[in-house]
Amino acid sequence: MIPAAFDYIRAGSAEEALAALAEHGDDAKVMAGGHSLIPLMKFRLATPGVIVDVGHLREDLRGITVSGDVVHIGALTRHSELEHSLDLATACPMLAHVASVVGDPSVRHRGTIGGSLAHADPASDLPAAAIALGATLVARGPNGEREIGVDDFFTGFLESALQPDELLTAIRVPVATGGWAYEKFNRRAQDWAIVAVAVAEGGKGVSLVNMGSTPLRANSVQDAVAAGASVDDAALHAGDGAAPPSDQNGDAAYRGHLATVLTRRALAAAGV
Amino acid sequence: MGSFLYNGAYDIANFSFSCDGYFTNLTPTDAYRGAGRPEASYAIERVMDMVAHRVGVTPEEVRLRNYINGGELFENFEAASTLTFDSGHYKPAHDRALELADVAGLRQEQARRREAGDPVQLGVGMCTYVEICGLAPSRALGGLNYGAGGWEHATVRILPTGKVEVVSGSTPHGQGHETAWSQIIASKLGIDPHDVEVLHSDTAKSPLGLDTYGSRSLAVGGVAIAMAADKVIAKALLIAAHQFEASPDDIVFEHGSFSVAGTPSKAVHIQELGFAAFAAHDLPEGMEPNLQEQVSFDPPNFAFPFGTHVAVVEIDTETGDVGLIDYIAVDDCGVQVNPLVVEGQLHGGIVQDVAQALHEVAAYDDNGQIITPSLMDYLVPSAAEVPSITLDSTVTPSTSNPLGVKGVGEAGTIGSAAAVINAVCDALSPYGIADIAMPAPPWTVRRAIETAQGAGS
Repeated sequence: MIPAAFDYIRAGSAEEALAALAEHGDDAKVMAGGHSLIPLMKFRLATPGVIVDVGHLREDLRGITVSGDVVHIGALTRHSELEHSLDLATACPMLAHVASVVGDPSVRHRGTIGGSLAHADPASDLPAAAIALGATLVARGPNGEREIGVDDFFTGFLESALQPDELLTAIRVPVATGGWAYEKFNRRAQDWAIVAVAVAEGGKGVSLVNMGSTPLRANSVQDAVAAGASVDDAALHAGDGAAPPSDQNGDAAYRGHLATVLTRRALAAAGV
Repeated sequence: MGSFLYNGAYDIANFSFSCDGYFTNLTPTDAYRGAGRPEASYAIERVMDMVAHRVGVTPEEVRLRNYINGGELFENFEAASTLTFDSGHYKPAHDRALELADVAGLRQEQARRREAGDPVQLGVGMCTYVEICGLAPSRALGGLNYGAGGWEHATVRILPTGKVEVVSGSTPHGQGHETAWSQIIASKLGIDPHDVEVLHSDTAKSPLGLDTYGSRSLAVGGVAIAMAADKVIAKALLIAAHQFEASPDDIVFEHGSFSVAGTPSKAVHIQELGFAAFAAHDLPEGMEPNLQEQVSFDPPNFAFPFGTHVAVVEIDTETGDVGLIDYIAVDDCGVQVNPLVVEGQLHGGIVQDVAQALHEVAAYDDNGQIITPSLMDYLVPSAAEVPSITLDSTVTPSTSNPLGVKGVGEAGTIGSAAAVINAVCDALSPYGIADIAMPAPPWTVRRAIETAQGAGS
């Protein structure tokens, strides 16, 4: 319950945060809302030497802007802001909905979308939503900004394409008003999904939560939908290529079964 | 205690009980809310459903046919397990619970879903429990090699100011003794409950007592309080008679005031007599000063609360998820002192045992490593996982104490696990599934369905 000792740097700006990351490298960890990182530290599953706190920053790092067919979301935008944004409800209702089922109200008032994506937890809701929506992630580093496609972002269990000296600053998602659904299966309202399935744009984007070491795009399902397969048939491909974990919430076979059931329901709910 | 209750609410002529103990290196367990009675009621109530299923009658009917005295009122029933049930009246609670749950309507909806092959099936489960509380006769506990007696101690004193101090050997840790004890005293003495202060938890003030456990506080400690109050009233009556120069036989006590029968205009309030007894200027010849009495109450018998609970579940047969969608409990804990406290105890107890039925588990991997080490994994349910609970009650006074009270601290945990698992098994009965072990997480339910379907095809 008590984290290992660490140094704490409260960054006054994104530039200060980047400077701190440049100085401490691998030993530093960026903290925004802290609702993923702090529990890991308390369990001593993470023992960073330096915490670089950016949670209080504003600048251009927080807020939702819709321009044309792109929604720009500052990395420090909290889940509750996504959940209650009228702009997002219009431009990308699936993302607003997914934000509304993350954890519980206190988690949603502290947690940030950038923090959730950078944490890269395969059991989290927002990473899979970002995949289904085809998001682009914006990272700022010593050499300026670069864009990372969401399919290149999640590289392993709790690992992303972010470099130790980079700060995730924004997420861009296409305006997505086509049929969507998010089917989350868990046992208590505030828990992580045992399995969840996100569907965007009438089945063009389909992704899976907690079906492997990273959030997954369900390519076979997307292909089947594109090829005109029935919902039932497309859903049978949900587990293709997935390597779901076995734990106290169900073994891999059960998760595979859930993925099929939930994919079928999500596709149907999305109007496929 | 549970070993005496495996006959449940039923008139079962022959009874034997054996128990095997096992050494284990798993997480140690200890007495938990209900302590033996949830296990007993779970066993007999699951058996009743299995009997109903096997015989081909409804679970309601098989219970009605077997209740002690046909479900009608009884007192001092000698059960085959050697206990004497103080009082019971099982049918009114049974009927009321089924009515509140609309079991007839639920059965229609269940039939419709079964007919339609709805992936979300409905299950209705009931449990009529009888439990034992009010620990209780020291003599009986001695027979069980119990390490202590079963009495409880109380002191009641009226201070010179007229305020009343109650010293209780039952120590509350959230059960609301201060409220209930104040109500008992206020009702007995005819005074404002705000004039009562309940002292407890400090052996410097309250050296005698055996504490709060086993749903015993009210039926033993609360009764001791009431009996001490009666002794205070009896002594105050003598002082009032002395002041009025009347015979004690002619004094009436009403709404806190003593008066001479027939002349209610001349009266003295019991709180005023606190000062008279303290000053002791003019007490009856030979009377000790002060209005302070104490009682150690050792009840002649335990108390046996009962009730009928109904759980309604929806099972998503594709995922195995069990959703508790309705819960009805009609409990009879004898005379109620504070209905709000009763409801609070029931809400907490019911959810606690719903958790045992559906959620909580200490699970281990093959190496003996616990895989549910935190409350995040142990799955204590939150308010979001339980429906609004519908409560009602019947009142069958206990014959074990003068207040007619029984106990309710553990009733919820004694009624709910069996009701929930009976509902789960009811929903799954078309698959030929007769039993599901606790807890029933979704993958267990789903696997049972798959296995049953595999066996059927």
